Amino acid sequence: MNVIRTFGLSKTYNHLVVPVNALVNVNLEIAEGEFTAIVGPSGSGKTTLLNMLGGLDQPTSGQIFIDDTEITGMKESRLIDFRLRNIGFVFQSYNLIPVLTAIEIVSFIMLLQNYPKDKMEKRARELLDQVGLADKADVRPQKLSGGQQQRVAVARALASNPRFVLADEPTANLDTQSAFNLLDIMLRLNREENITLLFSTHDQRVIDRARRVITLVDGSIVEDQHFEK
Amino acid sequence: MKTIIVVSWRNVWRNKPRSLTILMAIAVGLWGGIFATSISAGMMKQRFTSSIETQVSHIQVHNPQFLKDDNIRYGISRADEIERFLAKDSAVKAFSSRTLVSGMIATATQSKGVRILGINPVQEAATTRLSSTIIDGYYLSAGGRNPILIGKKLADKLKLKTGSRIILTFTDTEGEIVSASFRVQGIIRTNHSMLDETQVYVRQNDLQSLTGGRAIVNEIAVLLHDLAQVTPMVEAISGQFPENEIRFWGQLSPDLLYMNEMAGASLMVLLVIIMLALAFGLLNTMLMTVFERTRELGMLMAVGMNKIRVFAMILLETTFLTITGALAGGILSGVTIYVTSRNGIDFSGVGGDTLSDYGISAIVYPELFPGFTGNIVILVLITSVLSALYPALKALKLKPSEAIRQ
Repeated sequence: MNVIRTFGLSKTYNHLVVPVNALVNVNLEIAEGEFTAIVGPSGSGKTTLLNMLGGLDQPTSGQIFIDDTEITGMKESRLIDFRLRNIGFVFQSYNLIPVLTAIEIVSFIMLLQNYPKDKMEKRARELLDQVGLADKADVRPQKLSGGQQQRVAVARALASNPRFVLADEPTANLDTQSAFNLLDIMLRLNREENITLLFSTHDQRVIDRARRVITLVDGSIVEDQHFEK
Repeated sequence: MKTIIVVSWRNVWRNKPRSLTILMAIAVGLWGGIFATSISAGMMKQRFTSSIETQVSHIQVHNPQFLKDDNIRYGISRADEIERFLAKDSAVKAFSSRTLVSGMIATATQSKGVRILGINPVQEAATTRLSSTIIDGYYLSAGGRNPILIGKKLADKLKLKTGSRIILTFTDTEGEIVSASFRVQGIIRTNHSMLDETQVYVRQNDLQSLTGGRAIVNEIAVLLHDLAQVTPMVEAISGQFPENEIRFWGQLSPDLLYMNEMAGASLMVLLVIIMLALAFGLLNTMLMTVFERTRELGMLMAVGMNKIRVFAMILLETTFLTITGALAGGILSGVTIYVTSRNGIDFSGVGGDTLSDYGISAIVYPELFPGFTGNIVILVLITSVLSALYPALKALKLKPSEAIRQ
């Protein structure tokens, strides 16, 4: 079953001196449980595509369906709620709330979702346990290493029980060991929990582990490879 | 909502030096405003109380003709009945009947125009502070021949002291000029330096005997237990004695009425100006906060925090800052007002003596206007909402896809 479908997706930035076609007629299907890397040189449209799929930006033309719901043209207020309930985000620079502890950060998403309070802490602790941070539940981000912060971000992304997780260059700021740890965790979640993961990356370590690699050049898909791993 | 409150409160303390600076600005600004206001309020209350208890009283009764012609012959109709009426009413604290005439006070070398008040010493002592304003000599008593009380300022001008003899000249009820010798029994000093220079007090029966022997009463000043009883009492006396003119303190001294009605409002304007200035400081702080946290706000919106919650978070942060600063300012003000209201602030060294020209003592006892605290709370809340509005709208305009990449 396809979680994500796009039809003729294009994005042109007209506010620049010369109009720039960031995405050109992208047709894409991402099935449930896929571990996909979107690769390509800088400026190839990886982040733009992720922003479109995550409902953070609207395309100039084309359609995006998440399951059977079209998110293109959706009202901003509905889109915010849709993102909250369907999409998990992991950002390059972690973007954690510095005044909250790890468990509060993970619970925060559930609070926004009006998740039952009596089950919230248990689930937050389980998620932190899944990313190997059970003992850091009451620690604030500034006292965690970059790798640990990114793992908290993964736990946060999973807290809303999303249909898929978008990760924009998640290992870009991590050292090799932290990057491998993070990838191991994400792969395990993908295999054991059947979580759909979609990365934009330059990182060969991520590309090597992906089961599908989509290559973008100048906003167009030039290669779509599937690997058996 | 609880989490938003917790996040907002913790966000306030993310940049402690900046938050403390704006907190101190709010606290000191509010303290300055409240304390200055309380000094003004104290002065005005002193002026009001002093005017009521020294001169005006709450209600005065006159013959309407006397108010037009200021002639001793226009006495109050049925003055004795009014006195009996007042004596029976429990709302009345005290009253004083007076015989009034204008005349000249003369020494061997100088003379001056004065208002001569013929008073019943016992009634007057209960109604006004006259007996407690003696700074030399004694208050009027039943014994002795033609005693007189004069103000310190008049005594200085005419070079008089207790025991000095003076001549009072005035017209009697028939319009004949009468002169009589009086001996200075006491020298008074009130908060009204002008009155101390222009009014003298003699026994009512001495004055009546000199002005024709009739027990004419030109004025009855009434002091009540409670300011709220003034209107019903004016109506009661007017109903019983409609031939007389019954006026309350606001008619007798319109400046007091104006001061009472406008003072609170004008001092509130002062606080509004202070809070407005502080609002710009707050606005600046919150704008910096929003700009610094653009990426974080973008992330919050990206992961599904709706605009109402983002707005609430910025509003709460501003409100926490404002309320904490206001609380500190309020406590500082409370302590300062409490301490200074017990002992007063002596302004005599900085020109405070001139305050007595306006009926105010040089020692001022600061106090808060009634209901002022409530107004300040409302003002503080309005300030925080106004200061939060622009930064919060700025935050709402952020595009998550752009904000998270900054």
